[in-house]
Amino acid sequence: MKQRIGVYICHCGGNISDYVDVQQLGKLMAKEDGVVISKDVMFACSDSTQKEIEQDIKEKQLDAIVVASCSPKLHTHTFRGVAIRAGLNPYNYTQVNVREQCSWAHSDRPMDATIKAYGLIRAGINRVAHSEALESIEIEAQKAVAVIGAGIAGLRAALDLARMGNQVYLIEKEDKVGGRVLTAGKLFSSGENGKDVIEQLVRQIKQMTNIQLFTNATLGKVSGSVGNYYMDVNVNGELLKLHVGSVLVTTGFDFYSPGEGEYGFNMSDRVMSLQDFNMLVEGSNGQLMHNGQPVKTIAYIYCVGNRQSKGENKYCSRQCCTAAIHSSLNVHEKFKGVKAFHLYRDIRTYGKHELLYEESSRKGDIYIRFDEKEPPVVEIKNGKPFITVKDYLTSKKELTLDADLVVLVTGMVPRSDSTQISELLKIPIGNDKFFNEVHPKLKPVETVIKGIYIGGACQGPKNISESVQSALSGAAKINSISRKGSIKPEPIVARVDADICAWCNKCAEVCEFDAVKPIESSGKMIAEINISTCTGCGICAPVCPVNAIEIAYFTDNEIESMIDGFAEPADIAPREEVKETASTGQSKSLAGYPKIWRTIAGAMDDKTLTIPEIAGLVNISNHEATWNVMTMNRYGFIEAVGLNDDETHYNYKLKR
Amino acid sequence: MSLDSTTYDALVIGGGIAGQESALNLAEMNYKVLLVEKDVSIGGKMIQLSKVFPTLDCAACITTPKMSETARHPNIRLLTNTDVNEIVKDNGLFHINLTVRPTYVHADLCTGCQLCEEVCPKVIEDKYNSNMVGQKAISIAFSLANPKMAAIDIEQCIKCKKCVKVCAPNAIDFDMQPQNLRVEAKSVVIATGFNLFDAKHKPQYGFGQYPNVINAMQMDRLIAPTRPYNSVLRPSDGKVPDNIAYVLCAGSRDSSIENAEACTNGCANNPICSQICCMYSIKQAQLLMGALPMADITIYYMDIRAFGKGYEEFYMQAKGMGVNFVKGKIAKITEKNDGSADLVLRYEDVTTGKLKEVKHDLVVLSVGVLSDSSITQTFTNQKVEIDNLGFIQSAHELVSPAKTSIEGVFVAGAASGPKDIPDSILSAGAAASEAAGYINNLSAN
Amino acid sequence: MSAENAAPKILVFSTDIISDPGIDQAGLLKLHYSPSVYTISLPCSSGIKPRWIMRAFEKGFDGVFIAADGHECSYSPKCSEYTNKIIEQTQEMMREKNINPKRIRMAALCSVCAESFVSHMGNFSKILAELGSIQSEISVSQ
Repeated sequence: MKQRIGVYICHCGGNISDYVDVQQLGKLMAKEDGVVISKDVMFACSDSTQKEIEQDIKEKQLDAIVVASCSPKLHTHTFRGVAIRAGLNPYNYTQVNVREQCSWAHSDRPMDATIKAYGLIRAGINRVAHSEALESIEIEAQKAVAVIGAGIAGLRAALDLARMGNQVYLIEKEDKVGGRVLTAGKLFSSGENGKDVIEQLVRQIKQMTNIQLFTNATLGKVSGSVGNYYMDVNVNGELLKLHVGSVLVTTGFDFYSPGEGEYGFNMSDRVMSLQDFNMLVEGSNGQLMHNGQPVKTIAYIYCVGNRQSKGENKYCSRQCCTAAIHSSLNVHEKFKGVKAFHLYRDIRTYGKHELLYEESSRKGDIYIRFDEKEPPVVEIKNGKPFITVKDYLTSKKELTLDADLVVLVTGMVPRSDSTQISELLKIPIGNDKFFNEVHPKLKPVETVIKGIYIGGACQGPKNISESVQSALSGAAKINSISRKGSIKPEPIVARVDADICAWCNKCAEVCEFDAVKPIESSGKMIAEINISTCTGCGICAPVCPVNAIEIAYFTDNEIESMIDGFAEPADIAPREEVKETASTGQSKSLAGYPKIWRTIAGAMDDKTLTIPEIAGLVNISNHEATWNVMTMNRYGFIEAVGLNDDETHYNYKLKR
Repeated sequence: MSLDSTTYDALVIGGGIAGQESALNLAEMNYKVLLVEKDVSIGGKMIQLSKVFPTLDCAACITTPKMSETARHPNIRLLTNTDVNEIVKDNGLFHINLTVRPTYVHADLCTGCQLCEEVCPKVIEDKYNSNMVGQKAISIAFSLANPKMAAIDIEQCIKCKKCVKVCAPNAIDFDMQPQNLRVEAKSVVIATGFNLFDAKHKPQYGFGQYPNVINAMQMDRLIAPTRPYNSVLRPSDGKVPDNIAYVLCAGSRDSSIENAEACTNGCANNPICSQICCMYSIKQAQLLMGALPMADITIYYMDIRAFGKGYEEFYMQAKGMGVNFVKGKIAKITEKNDGSADLVLRYEDVTTGKLKEVKHDLVVLSVGVLSDSSITQTFTNQKVEIDNLGFIQSAHELVSPAKTSIEGVFVAGAASGPKDIPDSILSAGAAASEAAGYINNLSAN
Repeated sequence: MSAENAAPKILVFSTDIISDPGIDQAGLLKLHYSPSVYTISLPCSSGIKPRWIMRAFEKGFDGVFIAADGHECSYSPKCSEYTNKIIEQTQEMMREKNINPKRIRMAALCSVCAESFVSHMGNFSKILAELGSIQSEISVSQ
């Protein structure tokens, strides 16, 4: 228990002291157990007060401080800094929110606000009395990274990680690198060839001395945690042991493989996937030929294996529309007189890709919109595909097409071995079966396992540029760990009372971060918390049947003593001088405000009116009345008092 | 190197979500970053939003923690209300000339108490709320602003100085002068974002003419918890709307803007797709169904582009909730002349080929994303290439998307083309990665 | 003690990143709610121990409100599920002590959900007022 506590209660230049009697509270708190100094200060955050607190800590040998001022979101770091500069552990300081959650929220009832502030500050004193000096533990982090998968995302990230000074181990399960891009042919929108792009990257990678590339390499056992992962990698039958700080997973995707007979697939070699079609285009010169026959009419069927509202793959693969249109443009560029029909649901050439769609339409490609409920039917007659489709753009007119080739624009699906990868690295899989990020905006490349990142299309469908950006984002996060050379997790983590714990596994079951493991201690199994992966969220604490887990800074003693502090009856004397700002029963003066406001207020008087009624009374347009009434509402001159009888408009009245 | 010195590892221009993300990534790598923002608060477009697709997280919940992390990071120096005047590259180093415009309030003294705002009698347009409501000439830009301090709109201030009298810490200073700053940086990240299409340039839609034709940013404000009205109400008369229309592709996939060459800001022919409008409209539709359970919501579209992770599912969800999707391009919007301020939308129903007219009591224009390339003019001795739509040109779109035509200058977020929030964040991470590789090689050589 | 302070006493558990900032917003906008509402902010609502809630009742709180993060929780997608379990478990303990299980309530609260918080407090206060003081159910130590 802390015995030499300092308490500082802020006026905030009237923001607090106009409502809360901070002077009286300052005197009252001086009587609390353990408090050796208690002051009310004009601005706790001001430079001079910060220095004053520092001086008090040193001179009066304070072992804990309480600052009662604004929300902890604003100045916790300020006052932790004060504590540190004065040689006090920053966790021996507690912030009490007497502004946002007291004086402002209860400015209508100053006496009650003072009573509440009394409870809040007492709770803060109780809490800080039980506070502990917490220290961050520094854990050394390896400056080495394993990148799993050497497609475009992995290659590109490896290059940046090496440029940023990391040792990179690039692990590829195939015998060659480049993944899907290697065989993609001409790429949108730059027009580069996939093979060239990969070869150029490989050349750059070979120049880097700090990238080691392993092909024919598969991932084995993985142990450890952020900063220090130990991985077994099987390279051509030999065991390689790696010790890395972080892992970037860039394992990519598979193309959806159409089922037997799906749009005529496997019923005729004239029905093929977009990838196979691209190879055909790449390999043909002069005239587009298939099995010795010229190809004059092509039907592209979109959304194959995707956007299945009732099926398995509900998602959209985002890049296929553009890919198919780009292929069609390639065909027109290379060969004359080829007619293209695009059977689509929505054309999703987002962003600048729209220009390709526009160009394709200009070149005479025909777009036919079908609905998922009535998809096109492909029949094979005399070896040739024959398509029937209802065109939703022309009153669902049924069209028949006979095409030399049917190109199935297939979507992306997770790699067939992604479950194994997810089990080895303990990274979760989402509803769409792709690897799941922690949060699409806050932590888009992070997984719940600290130090393991996902980049590229293994997280979800992406085009090349997007895959590269996501992989490089992962590289940036990894580099922030390796450049520091260590991780310094906040000391607010779970801890286990070894005497009480009897290892039942309940805490480990609920932990999202794989931070709880059993270890042996004094002849029994107990839970051990990995402080480098624990986030201090506290999920494990309530599930413990014997209450063996506490979170530092949120211990039972701290929380329960706060509750006790709130509950103490307060003996507050009424304040002598009452500030004018507190409710005086009069409406606020409109003097000096726009004339129209005074006119509105005059017309409203005691009445309850809608905006059109107010507009009618003061003879202004409804629109002008809306703007002014809303602004008067914002500044507290007018308040809304519920809907009118027709429930079309709100009623307003002057605020008293 | 300390933060007060004048040489930084990176200058990040723009404090929206992309700029914050780039700055934080670099700062976390122990690089010293100068982040420059033209507005009085960081936060960009994202902080104005209600909730964000496809998770319906509240935008503030996601972006305010990032804003405070940016503002207090020991490796980031933040300058708000600041213009970049000139950037000259010399001998591998960028020499930067900046002006910090006066706010007339000392940031280190202002406690954000808003007493000045309360007493200020001068009511002006609230830009943060797209002028659907007024604010005071001295005010905090918006309740979640960071830095959280008041600023004076000096052009509109009547200089009554009532604010000076109530400000206990004496933070208000009418004598504050613009401050000129010269700094150096080893690299530059451009994260200047985008302009929303100004729908006035599509006169057939009546924006600016009919009060109940609003843009999507205004609707986002109306449904945000920090909304300007006490509920979702239409601006003409405060009526609770019950039949709302969305007009997609307003200023996108459109090369028919009148006088496109003559206008400079927020209006141009925009043949491309803006990438975000389908999704934000679906999001708003879902939120409106919650806020106004009795209202009908119709989305007029050309194609629904729900392409990102979880987006198609989000679209399906909206359909399931009863949002009405109609394929058709709106040709004209007119106000009924019966005093109702309701609107009539004329469109061609593509499924029947017939011209139709329908009535709605509130119309939301899902305005598109236009480039803002003004920052490129500050690079005076080398040129940052832009594409023919004015977006910063990526030097190698597929392999190095963040590189620009100047070595050491990188681009993050929507400055290089339309992007939603997740894509902007990823692009910002990529820019940080490429910049870090570049800076690291500078010091190695 | 002021005589008007007979309003039900509520303990709110909020979260550091999301719901506590939401409660701050209410103050910032000068939206008023009962001054007998006290808040303890934690990293995540799924870390609330039932014994803390029981302690609050024993010390005279008439109700406990959990302002959770819902699906915005950055720690666990199952946050609401775990928090619900904690509530169920606590309600068991409450029944054993003859405390009405309605004295505990949970809602997701976003970081700008000021109005929503105020209306929750209003509704909960009404419910608690109908139930009467906690002292009608257990003896309270202070």
